[in-house]
Amino acid sequence: MRGRQAKQPDEASVDLTPMLDVVFILLIFFIVTSTFIQEEALGLEPPPPPSNTQSDPENSAILIFVDQDNLITVNGRLTDITGVRANMERLRAENPESALIIQAHPQARTGTIVKIRDEAYNAQMNRVNIVQSEGD
Amino acid sequence: MARRKRILASDSTGDDDVNLTPMLDVVFILLIFFIVTAQFIKEPGVEINRTEVDNTERQNPLGILIAINDESEIYIDKEEVSLQEVGFRIRELREDNPKGRLVVQADEDSDAGVLISLMEIINNEDGLTAVPVSVEQE
Repeated sequence: MRGRQAKQPDEASVDLTPMLDVVFILLIFFIVTSTFIQEEALGLEPPPPPSNTQSDPENSAILIFVDQDNLITVNGRLTDITGVRANMERLRAENPESALIIQAHPQARTGTIVKIRDEAYNAQMNRVNIVQSEGD
Repeated sequence: MARRKRILASDSTGDDDVNLTPMLDVVFILLIFFIVTAQFIKEPGVEINRTEVDNTERQNPLGILIAINDESEIYIDKEEVSLQEVGFRIRELREDNPKGRLVVQADEDSDAGVLISLMEIINNEDGLTAVPVSVEQE
């Protein structure tokens, strides 16, 4: 060993270039693959557990019903998506404590439900439940 | 080779050679940072149309993605999953990623019944009182 080192003194220094190449490739790979997926989301409340659904008195809740043809009914009054907020705020003015129940037919469009929940956020309703109607 | 030749030619003690050690340290620290922070999120792999709304909230860090396409089929990790299996799959993904947010990517033309049933399952599994549903800023 000693003899060889003495003969070729240059071989003693390790060439770092190939390792540096590999490290750079790894670095670039991880920079490129760590593209952070961004998701903008809106919170939807799941239905409450079935035990205490009867506890809410009928008159203190605003019921928005969406049927399978995406027709929106707010406490029995037929409206469209642009009228939901006005109806919601009118009913809340009558009874400020009222909760909001969005009842959707299983075949209603998701987009309609999300839009109604968005309108409820706009109207600053904070007690909201989304349920589906007992369906055929 | 070039370096060796230069050293021989300049006949110096090697002071003109660039010292790579500090750069190597920095590169290694960057490398380790990116390895540690890299999260491989399993994407559902289906194209969905998001609903356009006014109120959005950025979900960070993202963990589990569940998609419902316009045919109301549920997709997790590029596989179609039945409603009964979803709870099991969520528990499985939670082992890999205990902290990431769960987001449902629901197509606006999917059936609300599927989404609401899915939200019930997520509520049971994850205890979320508001399930984030992916939307687009209007």
